[in-house]
Amino acid sequence: MTQPARTEAGKPRRLDAFSLPSEPGNERLALARVAGTVKDLGLSEARLEKLKTAVAEATMNAIEHGNGNHAEIPVEVEVSQDGDEIIVAISDQGGDAKASDGKASDPEASDAEEGDARADSPEEPDLLKKLEGVQSPRGWGLFLIRNMVDAMDITTNGQRHTIWLTMRTGGAAHGEHV
Amino acid sequence: MASMCEATTKVLPGAAVIELSGEVDGSAAGVLTDAYQRAVTSAAAKSPDGLDGPGTVVLDFAAVDYINSTGIALIVSVLARARAERRKVVACGLSPHYREIFDITRLSDFIELFPDLDGAVSQLTGPAA
Repeated sequence: MTQPARTEAGKPRRLDAFSLPSEPGNERLALARVAGTVKDLGLSEARLEKLKTAVAEATMNAIEHGNGNHAEIPVEVEVSQDGDEIIVAISDQGGDAKASDGKASDPEASDAEEGDARADSPEEPDLLKKLEGVQSPRGWGLFLIRNMVDAMDITTNGQRHTIWLTMRTGGAAHGEHV
Repeated sequence: MASMCEATTKVLPGAAVIELSGEVDGSAAGVLTDAYQRAVTSAAAKSPDGLDGPGTVVLDFAAVDYINSTGIALIVSVLARARAERRKVVACGLSPHYREIFDITRLSDFIELFPDLDGAVSQLTGPAA
């Protein structure tokens, strides 16, 4: 697995790796398994809840937008620790080359989500615009992820699209009062 | 996917309460929409003029253990509908984590938050209640 440059210098310790079928609802399985893996690593309860939300949202995006809800295409999840950083990598097959493959491309799903939650989603969610009907009520996924974790990186290697979630065991995420 | 969300409704003076339980995600759309309609209709039937229904809709999240981004979208839709009908929406029973999400998304700018249903009801019905 190719990791972003930020973590290449260290020697992350892999804690867990698993894959899930791309079926709606399986984000709950990812959430529960990651929570179990990191529960003794020193995250406060509040920060564990944030990581769980970020993992669920990223996995849901991978299932729906990356793999087009095709159960046979797995979402891969890897949990590692690098010093005081917990890193969760969630990969799908919806990267740059998906058009050449076709399996992960689901126009109906893409249309239904109205640009929801992929890295290149151009529009920041604006609640007032949503209430006025100018923006879709959806589109909160990436916004939530960014606000839950200490860092979010996205890498694409051919078809493989990975979102990296980093949470420091001693830190405070955006807006958090500790 | 079957919804893991359930909703019960009750009518109070001036307010309709929707008590949610389980998971508020995309699969809860029908449950939430039906509950809103039921709550508003029931309240209208009990109102003196039988027309307008409740001025306030209370969303009680005390028994909800999971809300995701598509659930947030459903709450936005309920809020938009309520505003169009000139109803106020308040919420109660959110965990600290989901209160923070309501803050981050700015839902709490439009939905007043109360710790629990008793607090919401006493605020809505006044100190004599």
